[in-house]
Amino acid sequence: MSTLLELSGVSVSFDGFKAINNLSFQIGEPELRAIIGPNGAGKTTFMDIITGKTKPDEGRVIWGDKNISLLGLSESQIAREGVGRKFQKPTVFEAQTVRENLAMALKNPRGPFDVLFYKKTKRGAERVEAIAEQIGLTDSLTRLAGELSHGQKQWLEIGMLLAQEPRLLLVDEPAAGMTPAEREKTTEMLVEAAKTRAVVVVEHDMEFVRRLNCKVTVLNEGSVLAEGSIDHVTSDPQVIDVYLGR
Amino acid sequence: MSTPNRSFLAQNPSVLWFLGFLGLFTLLVTVFSEATGTGVISTSFVKTLGKILCLCLIAIAMDVVWGYCGILSLGHFAFFGIGGYAIGMWLMYARTEGIVADSLAAQAIPPTASELSDAVASQIFGVVGASEFPPIWAFAHSLPLQLLMVVLVPGLLALVFGWLAFRSRVTGVYLSILTQAMTLALSLWLFQNDSGLRGNNGLSGLQNIPGFEETPQALISIWFFWASAAALGLGYVLFAWVVSGKMGSVIRAIRDDEARVRFLGYHVESYKLFVFTLTAIVAGIAGALYYPQAGIINPAEIAPIASIYLAVWVAIGGRGRLYGAVLGTVFVTLASSWFTGGSAPDVNLGVYTIKWTDWWLVLLGVSFVAVTLFAPQGLGGLVDKLRRKA
Repeated sequence: MSTLLELSGVSVSFDGFKAINNLSFQIGEPELRAIIGPNGAGKTTFMDIITGKTKPDEGRVIWGDKNISLLGLSESQIAREGVGRKFQKPTVFEAQTVRENLAMALKNPRGPFDVLFYKKTKRGAERVEAIAEQIGLTDSLTRLAGELSHGQKQWLEIGMLLAQEPRLLLVDEPAAGMTPAEREKTTEMLVEAAKTRAVVVVEHDMEFVRRLNCKVTVLNEGSVLAEGSIDHVTSDPQVIDVYLGR
Repeated sequence: MSTPNRSFLAQNPSVLWFLGFLGLFTLLVTVFSEATGTGVISTSFVKTLGKILCLCLIAIAMDVVWGYCGILSLGHFAFFGIGGYAIGMWLMYARTEGIVADSLAAQAIPPTASELSDAVASQIFGVVGASEFPPIWAFAHSLPLQLLMVVLVPGLLALVFGWLAFRSRVTGVYLSILTQAMTLALSLWLFQNDSGLRGNNGLSGLQNIPGFEETPQALISIWFFWASAAALGLGYVLFAWVVSGKMGSVIRAIRDDEARVRFLGYHVESYKLFVFTLTAIVAGIAGALYYPQAGIINPAEIAPIASIYLAVWVAIGGRGRLYGAVLGTVFVTLASSWFTGGSAPDVNLGVYTIKWTDWWLVLLGVSFVAVTLFAPQGLGGLVDKLRRKA
């Protein structure tokens, strides 16, 4: 397992409020990691920094085998480098079919003229079928994404991320609003995805994190409070104090 | 390359329907026109129909940029006007040169090239008190170069303007205001006498095509009608192709959630720039076909209200479907000429008489609000409903 992404000494503040405070974080490839923390711990800002939405005031974000910095890249460049992001609220393109959503996400050249003259290939169609199978939406390929249930939309979004073939997957509260059966399936998908890539799951739900059965990082007030197995962090007195004890 | 054309048309039956309707309409107008048929349709009405086809062409461009890509441009008529000015410069230059050369030919000593040029210049610019060609007329003598300008000037303006605006992530209502400012600035600049384009006089006599002085207007009008129909047909196919495949998928996604598209790895700004520039070029071509039929172009044509009308046509027709833009344009422009042409009967309310020439704009405004509130799918939405029932 080699290091894929490394944040060191990252800080960012909004109007004087330090959302991220001297944060250091590493993740390898492949690896599954859960991030927990109370509201306002900086979880979303953390993802914003990695995906290029927010520029940190100081610190470094180093990526990949060539140790390039992500700080100088735009959101779309970072996505093309292989960082996929799933938002808390399912954001799929509701006016388009499941197939169109997946086809758009497929790893292919992203320039306007590449897309304009894009020819549907057999390989692409097969990829879409395979991903649909994986996320359990094979029968819904021609349906509009807007007609899907909440859980199905979440899976479609995970499917779109898989279609991008990212090396790092950032997933924000995937289990929110899901039924127990849907949660179980989501857990399986994430564990499966993490066999070949790095997956970071931000989650509130302890039970869900426990099922992921992976290393856990606890964030508080913009920096890492504890790191280790779920049993290790949940027995940490500091963690109990700021998070679990509430 | 596995028969992309056939699959494109097979996937988009509405394109074939549209081309069929357009072909039939063109045939009917040809058969009933003065020049090539029975003469039931007057030459001026042929011109009106040809102009409406050009407006339909810019309307489908507007639909692509707004209805599909979500950029509410309130400046696309600027590109239309620039196209008109570009072709108008050649028309005016070439025709004036012909007239001046004829009148000077009677002299004992034939005029030199510079004398001729000066005479043409004072003929064209006398009305704004100038007698020399401004630098922007450098290519006016050449039809191919001016035709190139029809495409290049709107394209470059859209490219530069769009690059600046999209790069700074100006979106939504702010972008609309910015495009509005662009067209207003252009219009105000053109109103000045020293803009080099004859100020508020604009360019006139554009219906007289140099080299065809002996050809009756009836015939010229049907030529332009055909050209407009062909341009609309080609434009429709082009845009239908752009919005059908993966490109259409990406630009509709940008309309619905551009941040998400960015996280998929697409450079959103390049796509917006592509759509904005392509539609600006088509708008320029539409303008170049429109103004020779209108006969005159002046800066008032580029006033912001024109671009707002364009948005109204597309909204009433139904955004996000190309035939909707065509329906809206035809419906509103025909209704407009009926109400403002004096043929609509006044409504006597006893205490007040509604004169449609005064009240048409109010009616249009009310319909726009009504469509936005109660039928956001517009006229095109009705067509879709009927189709689903059938």
